[in-house]
Amino acid sequence: MAVADDFAPTISIEGARKARGNLTQARIRWMVLAMVLGFGLVGGRLVQLGMVETDSTIEGQARDVITATRPPILDRNGLEMAVDIRVPSLFAEPRRIIDVEEAVQKLRTVLPDLSEDFLRNRLTGDKGFVWVQRELSPAIQDKVMRLGIPGIDFITESKRFYPGMSEASHILGSTNIDNQGIAGIEKHMDSDSIALLQDLGLARGNALAPVELSVDMRVQHIMHEQLADAMTRYKAIAAAGVMMDIHTGEIIALASLPDFDPNDPKTALVKDSFNRITAGIFEPGSIFKTVTLAGALDSGSVRVTDQFDARFGVRFGRFTIDDFHGKHRILSLPEVYKYSSNIGTIRVMQAMGKDNYRAFLSTMGFDERVQFELPEMRLPTVPKSFSEVGAATASFGHGLSVSPLHMVAAYSAFVNGGNYISPTLYKRSMADAEPLYRRVVQPSTSEAIRYLMRLNAIGSGGSGGQMNKLALGFRVGGKTGTAEKVVDGRYSSSKVTNFFGSAFPLDNPRYAMVIMVDEPKAESAQTGTTAGWNAGTVTGRIVQRVAPMLGIAPDFSPLIDDSLVPAALRNGPPGSQFN
Amino acid sequence: MIRNLNIFLIFTSVLMLSGVYAIKFSIENTASQRTELIAQIDSQEGELSILKADEAVLSQPGHIGPIVARHELALAIAPVKQEQFGAFEALPMRPVRQQPNTSAMNSLFESLAAGVDPIDAILELEGIE
Repeated sequence: MAVADDFAPTISIEGARKARGNLTQARIRWMVLAMVLGFGLVGGRLVQLGMVETDSTIEGQARDVITATRPPILDRNGLEMAVDIRVPSLFAEPRRIIDVEEAVQKLRTVLPDLSEDFLRNRLTGDKGFVWVQRELSPAIQDKVMRLGIPGIDFITESKRFYPGMSEASHILGSTNIDNQGIAGIEKHMDSDSIALLQDLGLARGNALAPVELSVDMRVQHIMHEQLADAMTRYKAIAAAGVMMDIHTGEIIALASLPDFDPNDPKTALVKDSFNRITAGIFEPGSIFKTVTLAGALDSGSVRVTDQFDARFGVRFGRFTIDDFHGKHRILSLPEVYKYSSNIGTIRVMQAMGKDNYRAFLSTMGFDERVQFELPEMRLPTVPKSFSEVGAATASFGHGLSVSPLHMVAAYSAFVNGGNYISPTLYKRSMADAEPLYRRVVQPSTSEAIRYLMRLNAIGSGGSGGQMNKLALGFRVGGKTGTAEKVVDGRYSSSKVTNFFGSAFPLDNPRYAMVIMVDEPKAESAQTGTTAGWNAGTVTGRIVQRVAPMLGIAPDFSPLIDDSLVPAALRNGPPGSQFN
Repeated sequence: MIRNLNIFLIFTSVLMLSGVYAIKFSIENTASQRTELIAQIDSQEGELSILKADEAVLSQPGHIGPIVARHELALAIAPVKQEQFGAFEALPMRPVRQQPNTSAMNSLFESLAAGVDPIDAILELEGIE
């Protein structure tokens, strides 16, 4: 034991190398621990990320495309004619639908219009996005959401809405489901600049400046209402009208019935609902006599004091052209216009010469389309050159077809002092309009035409008497036109297209209007089917309602009418006087 | 020395790491708030567009016209007739006999200027004030 005690305590000498080895080992352990912790963190985050469900709804890029907006369209007073509304559209993500059959049955409880097969096809498959039904109402959105079907959701889309319903349908046109213009001014706007903006992704939100039209919705409403009234009153197959500011060329109202509801674009496909003002061409009948007289007076070949022999019909070979309710006597030029004498008008045209007459029609733009924004336009058909008989019939508006828009533009030029201005649907100020003027007749001719138009309204025996009775005090004047339709290759006296071309107030004219009533019947046994009874009275009723809106006060002073009589005719023959 | 430096570096890196994460989360939070606000603005714009369309419908002449026609009898209204228009020039001048009593007006203005309002005496008499 003692031996054991003798042992000296063991001396352990740790060398520098061993000490360093221990330290290294400890460091390695710490390092491993740190690495494990580090990788553990990364691994844990990965698991966490793997658990998160990614949201793959249609967001970002696609969203901007489908909410692409169009600028609101306003009338000249700032009233909305077309606005964008946001509506919910139903879409599905077929790959997330668990039970297709259940989804189909449930959806059909809310949307019974969708067929079962269509829905089943749509909802089956591995697609990420399919439309189910676009542009629904918020009420339907609520119901569908309450069904709680996975993989079915809504997205808001922009949709065009026309608060005026069908009233300005032919002006506005309509848009398709992707909010692109397919007719009317909407289409014109697209060809302009909006399509480009939408392509660039800029046409979003409410950033687009509203488009201001020249149309006055109040006048448009009255015109639409009166044309609808004319359709029932005269049992007509169609009625149309257009009113234009004669100085600026702005279209104040334009309506054509039957029309369509732009909120439901497929109604535009109904037969006969085309725009008769721009896309319809008709034989204008006697309202064309204004053109003939203006041309002849302007050429200097006839004067307002001239007399014309209307005792016998004009013979061309075996044809004889005669007057409807003819006077068969010598007529003064104002009487030719007032009694709408075909014979007299042919004599006037012949005094001018048929080639000069044809050239004047070209000056008035009857050879080509009217320059206008609406895409629905038709070329007029006017013979390139006139034969003797062709010129004779053309002088009273037969044997050539033009649109009512041509006529209103011509009437505007005749009463505004003789400057042709192409019509427009956009706002145009006088300053903008004046550089566009093209002189077509002299101011003195314009003066004579104003007198003739007023004479036809208030002179005894004038065909505008019915119109003037309704619009007393507003100094309206105009010309009737009853064009017989061609039925089976012959002119029919029972089927007619009636026109009334007018301007008011004639002492200081501001507006020109053309009204058309197609195939009217007599309203009662005491009335007739000629234009004065229908197109004329419609004009009178419209003016009576809209003139105060347009700031025209009635004036019954006979002095105003007297001042319209050209100096050469003051104290002239009785037929040329008012009353 | 190096040890102290290492400890310092470890602490700063941990601090900065937590700082970065704090910023990241706060940004994510802000972003989600922003998305929420955008969605809210979007839905409100949608509602606004519907309201505007409603207003446009209600102010259309084509909407007001039938309402007027429906109440024509009850309210005794009709489209204005030409004879109902007048001009200022057509108004007759004031008849000479009915000239205002200028002396009475003058005395009233004078008493008002002096601070005496004749209506006070009447009110007092009636016991209103």
